[in-house]
Amino acid sequence: MLVTGIKSKPVYTPLAPDLSGRYHLMVGHGVGREPLLRVLRDLRTAAPESGARTRVLFVGSPDEHSASDEVFRSAGAADVRLFGREDELLTDFQDVLTSSVMGTRLYVAGPESFMGLVMRLARQFNLNKDEVRAEECGAAARRVYCMHCQTATENVTTNIVQCKDCNRWLLVRDHYSSRLAAYMGVMVDAEAPGERPEVKEVFR
Amino acid sequence: MSHADTIPVRVVAVEQVTPQIKHFRLAAVDGSRLPAFSGGSHIIVVMNDVDRVHRNPYSLLGVPAQLETYEIAVRRMEQSRGGSHFMHDSVSVGSTLEIAHPVNLFGLSKIGRKHILIAGGVGITPILGQMEDLHQDGVPYEIHYSVRAPEHAAFLSRLQQRAADRLKVYYDSSGHAIDFDGLLSTQPLGTHFYVCGPAGMIEVVLAKARTWGWPESHIHWEQFSAPPAGEAFDVHLAKSRLDVHVVPDQSLLESIEAAGVEVPYLCRGGVCGFCRTDVLELDGELIHNDHYLSDEERASGRVIMPCVSRARCKKLVLDL
Repeated sequence: MLVTGIKSKPVYTPLAPDLSGRYHLMVGHGVGREPLLRVLRDLRTAAPESGARTRVLFVGSPDEHSASDEVFRSAGAADVRLFGREDELLTDFQDVLTSSVMGTRLYVAGPESFMGLVMRLARQFNLNKDEVRAEECGAAARRVYCMHCQTATENVTTNIVQCKDCNRWLLVRDHYSSRLAAYMGVMVDAEAPGERPEVKEVFR
Repeated sequence: MSHADTIPVRVVAVEQVTPQIKHFRLAAVDGSRLPAFSGGSHIIVVMNDVDRVHRNPYSLLGVPAQLETYEIAVRRMEQSRGGSHFMHDSVSVGSTLEIAHPVNLFGLSKIGRKHILIAGGVGITPILGQMEDLHQDGVPYEIHYSVRAPEHAAFLSRLQQRAADRLKVYYDSSGHAIDFDGLLSTQPLGTHFYVCGPAGMIEVVLAKARTWGWPESHIHWEQFSAPPAGEAFDVHLAKSRLDVHVVPDQSLLESIEAAGVEVPYLCRGGVCGFCRTDVLELDGELIHNDHYLSDEERASGRVIMPCVSRARCKKLVLDL
């Protein structure tokens, strides 16, 4: 039922420093910490002077915070901002994008749905593929956009999910909208009400 | 593009706008509206001179929505191969010419959030069309226009009328130069820049942009090279089974066309890549003058852009 090979499905690749950039903005969530630390260290090795122009925005649990500020700084970041909630980070990220200048490279690391939200904001600021590097890590749970009532259901790990708003049963497609930062969900039993394939956990 | 695809036009107005630049207004001979175009587009003007045909690219500088006439501006080149002198000396109101359909190799990014337009001298021509598009779309932009001296500032009143508060003019004669570092170090995310002017200016801007970390996708430039003259050489066209002699002041493409063989092209200035031709045999060296091929392709000796490039060789066989 799922169509594979859909081109809109985002493809993320491991982070590496982009030395053509002048400013480096790193945004991470939870387990995204390790890839960010790796790229910070690689950047410091390749271009020691770039640390002063490097900023980190990170959201994680309180446990992760206690060590992160110092860890990020010792890896070479001049400016580190920690957040307890994803929406707080995204608000600050938008402010940072507003005041940033051309020459900035964005590095993103975190779970699937976080990546989507960060990339959507970056896209609104016309950051192109040659300015953004993103590495997916952690949960593959998806944001799913209901094609029928036009709301998003968060943290979907199954092939079929009930829309939180209209209660329709949705098939989660690989068809991705970077504008909406969500995968498309279409009613799975529209032709034969109640006839639904088995619900399986597929996005972990 | 074949000769049959051209549009016959009549010159309806000519104005000398600077000591070196003439402005021409062209209308279709049959009175129909001309094809739509976007800011940054150019046309090829076909000029039937006494003993040869010139085909030169010129940017369209009018308002893209007004298609009753096209406007071009032609600078008299000191070392002209004939095209710009023909336009200046032999074309007047009532003259007929042929033009190819507009092509845009210097279009605006539709998703850009701000646009910086940088022009040197007659490089202002594509910028004028881009300005009209940006004005229409209400997108933020700035124009930085550098000229030798006030009398060389073509289309200044038009620029001031449309974009007075967005325009900065720099006169070499007064010692004013564009502060590229200041300009390129302070632009908000999502800014694109577009530069058209002399080769030296473009080189400086591109180097500065890279220093300040601009990614390629936000950098746009256009420069049409006139085909440089060189030594005469001979070429064999394998498919057509023709031998062609290229004289010093004629380009390889022109020589091939004069022999009756059509090569696809869009810009005739080494930019678009359409006339890219495979080299089958070569005893000697290719003289690459284009802005299109990669360094590897140039070094391979197996491909050439006949619109601007030549050869110094005993033998050259092309896949034409």
